[in-house]
Amino acid sequence: MIAVVTTMTTEVPAPDRVTQEDIEEAARRKELIIRWISRISGYVVVLGLWEWASGAVLEENLLPGPTRVLQTAVELFQDGKVFPAFGASLSRILLGVFLSFIIGSMIGIITQNRWFSGFFKDAITIGLTSPGLIWVLITALVFGNRWFGPILAIILTTFALVSVNVAEGIGSLPKDTLDMARAFKVNLVDRNRHIVIPHLAPYLFTGLRFSFSIGWKVTVLTEIFTASSGIGFELRIAQILFRQDEVLTWILLFFVFALFLEKVVLQAIEDRFFRWRKEIAST
Amino acid sequence: MTAVATKPPSSSSGTAIPPRRPSSAPMRFIKSPRFARAMFLPAVLVFWLISNKLIENSWDFDSSVLATPREVWDFMWAEVTRDTVAPKDLYETFGISLYRLGIGFSISMILGTTIGLGMGLSRAVNAFFHDWVMALLAMPALAWALFLSLIFGFDNKGPIIAVVLAGIPFVIVNVREGVRSTPRDLFDMSNAFGVPSNKRTRHVLLPSLYPFLFASARYALSIGWKGLVIIELFGGQDGAGWTVKFWYDAHRLHGVIGYSMFFVIFALVMENAILEPISRRVFRWRPSLNSPDIVEEEMDALYDVEELNRELDANLPTGSTQET
Amino acid sequence: MAEIKIRNLHKEFGTGADKVVALEDVNLDMGGHVFVSIVGPSGCGKSTLLNILSGIETPTSGSLEITQSGHKAAPGYVFQAARLLPWRTVMDNLLFVQQDKSDETRARCQKYLEMVQLGDKGDKFPGELSGGMQQRVGIARAFSIEPDVLFMDEPFSHLDAITARSLRRELHTMWADTGKTIIFVTHDVGEAVELSNRILVFAQGGRLEDDITVDLDFPRDAADEEVAIAKASVLRKFEEFDLLAT
Ligand SMILES: Nc1ncnc2c1ncn2[C@@H]1O[C@H](COP(=O)(O)OP(=O)(O)OP(=O)(O)O)[C@@H](O)[C@H]1O
Ligand SMILES: [Mg+2]
Repeated sequence: MIAVVTTMTTEVPAPDRVTQEDIEEAARRKELIIRWISRISGYVVVLGLWEWASGAVLEENLLPGPTRVLQTAVELFQDGKVFPAFGASLSRILLGVFLSFIIGSMIGIITQNRWFSGFFKDAITIGLTSPGLIWVLITALVFGNRWFGPILAIILTTFALVSVNVAEGIGSLPKDTLDMARAFKVNLVDRNRHIVIPHLAPYLFTGLRFSFSIGWKVTVLTEIFTASSGIGFELRIAQILFRQDEVLTWILLFFVFALFLEKVVLQAIEDRFFRWRKEIAST
Repeated sequence: MTAVATKPPSSSSGTAIPPRRPSSAPMRFIKSPRFARAMFLPAVLVFWLISNKLIENSWDFDSSVLATPREVWDFMWAEVTRDTVAPKDLYETFGISLYRLGIGFSISMILGTTIGLGMGLSRAVNAFFHDWVMALLAMPALAWALFLSLIFGFDNKGPIIAVVLAGIPFVIVNVREGVRSTPRDLFDMSNAFGVPSNKRTRHVLLPSLYPFLFASARYALSIGWKGLVIIELFGGQDGAGWTVKFWYDAHRLHGVIGYSMFFVIFALVMENAILEPISRRVFRWRPSLNSPDIVEEEMDALYDVEELNRELDANLPTGSTQET
Repeated sequence: MAEIKIRNLHKEFGTGADKVVALEDVNLDMGGHVFVSIVGPSGCGKSTLLNILSGIETPTSGSLEITQSGHKAAPGYVFQAARLLPWRTVMDNLLFVQQDKSDETRARCQKYLEMVQLGDKGDKFPGELSGGMQQRVGIARAFSIEPDVLFMDEPFSHLDAITARSLRRELHTMWADTGKTIIFVTHDVGEAVELSNRILVFAQGGRLEDDITVDLDFPRDAADEEVAIAKASVLRKFEEFDLLAT
């Protein structure tokens, strides 16, 4: 047996407590600066590459740079095209999501029954997994440019999300709390108001949010095929006319618009109404 | 992550059912959920036929636009037996699309893993890419499709880039998450036993990343496929998406439905015949297949970027915070 | 033979309001053929001390010197949780920490697996074993590198009484035969008295409260009067400090 001798010595001088915290504070500040520099250089590099590629790698007509896109966006706003298009799309989205919400909730409620749960099992799987494109094409073929074609497509692609959430919410109703309330002879209205509805609200809201985030994509897709107004329609026209700068601008506008609705508006509503959930989550 | 608000494990089906009076055997069978499930398909077929009738009667439709289940079935059979009026038959069509999917998928895995590793290991790299990755993640495949189809015309390049762009943000986010959740305790254990670093990388870091890589692969494939179909549809001259469009333009509803069914079948085969067995092999060591931290998504739009973001930022080690 | 010299060791986690002092001004000399038990209430810094000794954590201040000679320079460590690689079989987990994979090494690993009564489980994945079995694999792993100094963090606390008892005997035999230095953390004062010739009592806040020498002959039996008395006296001190801390 060979004898190996290792000596490990750690000698850390006892630090002055105050300076230690100062050092950490400085490290944090440095960290923050590095992070912001990296972030900004990320923007500079990506936007720079894009601007450079437009013209150098591909023709400017094919790949308009960021400045070009910004210009086109301003033009589109000035032409007054943007808001009517958004309005048309938005009203379709809202109607579709609203109906899907009602239908989905009803299915979610009746699937509490075992028989209906079995009946709708495959429907929900199909609804959750089949791509919106399929429904868009089918409804477009069947209904042409009638107004409810797109609505039906939205419903078919999103109802299952609502159903699943509603069913999950009902399934997880706090039985013990309800029993407690019943034991204390809390009346039915109050029971629903203070227990059932607050419990279900987050589930409903999640269903709504998911169906919205799918719904807007489906809406734009249907508009590309059938509608004569809306963002999808404008996109289609720009594509047919080979106006690549407009295509790109519409894409980015609709992306920003949807993100705004999803992340700012819906998020704000959720934060407002479900603050109690966050508090629970953080404890 | 599921499409459900919170995640109590209880399933939805089991709420209290009042005790039922004893009933006869056939009645019990009819009332059973299994029977109900079996009834779904016939119900759909009946509904389909009735609505066909209703539509035909309420509008002056060219009734040849509507399809009956029978027509769809015949169409599918004809396609399978290579009897088609489309320029390319089913197998060629799917071959073309698969080729594009394969290349785009490989690129997004390689590139995405590299970027994800960088982002997981360095906060500077993370800050550099973060916002763009999140934007990419939220960008629907549709957006790319229209844009790329104009740039690349009928080339293979457009579809491949679309597959890459659709899939890569998922790979990046998952790999980054994987790097961040590497098992600290196992690293400490290796250090305590003086295990050399190459061995540690091979036996601790990599295996702990597999679930994340695998989840990435799964999403990159399924989302890449959706993106591919859409770009082929808008700007291709062949491939699965284009062929659906071909039947759509020909006003053949049975073609559209039939081809959609092929998509569904294709997805099922990919999932059950390829991904599932691989996953079972790779994760042999794992008794039940549900790793908690994997960022999973069934549908692109379900992805809650903001929430994910918040979670990830919360996990980002700041200053000298220690893990317990 | 390993010699451990600890001077003014101080360890804290976090800063500002989150600051936790895990070890405060610890001075210790341990070495040679000793079996040192560390007892103390939960959260008093026992695991932290082992982590610092094994190099996983670095102290905030103070100095630490370990001199060891022997088969392998690294210490053996039995963790509070088994810490096995879930994706490697039991045998591969043992081989993972070895320096080579020769037949000789394999035979040694097998020997220690048999010592913990898991000789037939080499091909299983950790997920297929019970919690106690996993813990025993962790013990076999630490033994299998035949280290000079062995750190053990409550190794027997997840095991049933009978297995724990037989492993305790094995541990004692091994220690007696090989002359290793063993630093052994436990909650169980009886276990500490039964196995060790030195007991360190830590109190909340990481203060070393007492350093007791247990000078009784081995093998010790809990039923022996002397052992029982020693246990009672340690327990009394332990409780005293515990009460002081809370
Ligand atoms: N990585 C860490 N970050 C922050 N605090 C820590 C960390 N590790 C330990 N601590 C804190 O240090 C103190 C000592 O922890 P340690 O794990 O050493 O306790 P212990 O004596 O082993 O307790 P137990 O008997 O329950 O295992 C505890 O208050 C713990 O919360
Ligand atoms: Mg401990």
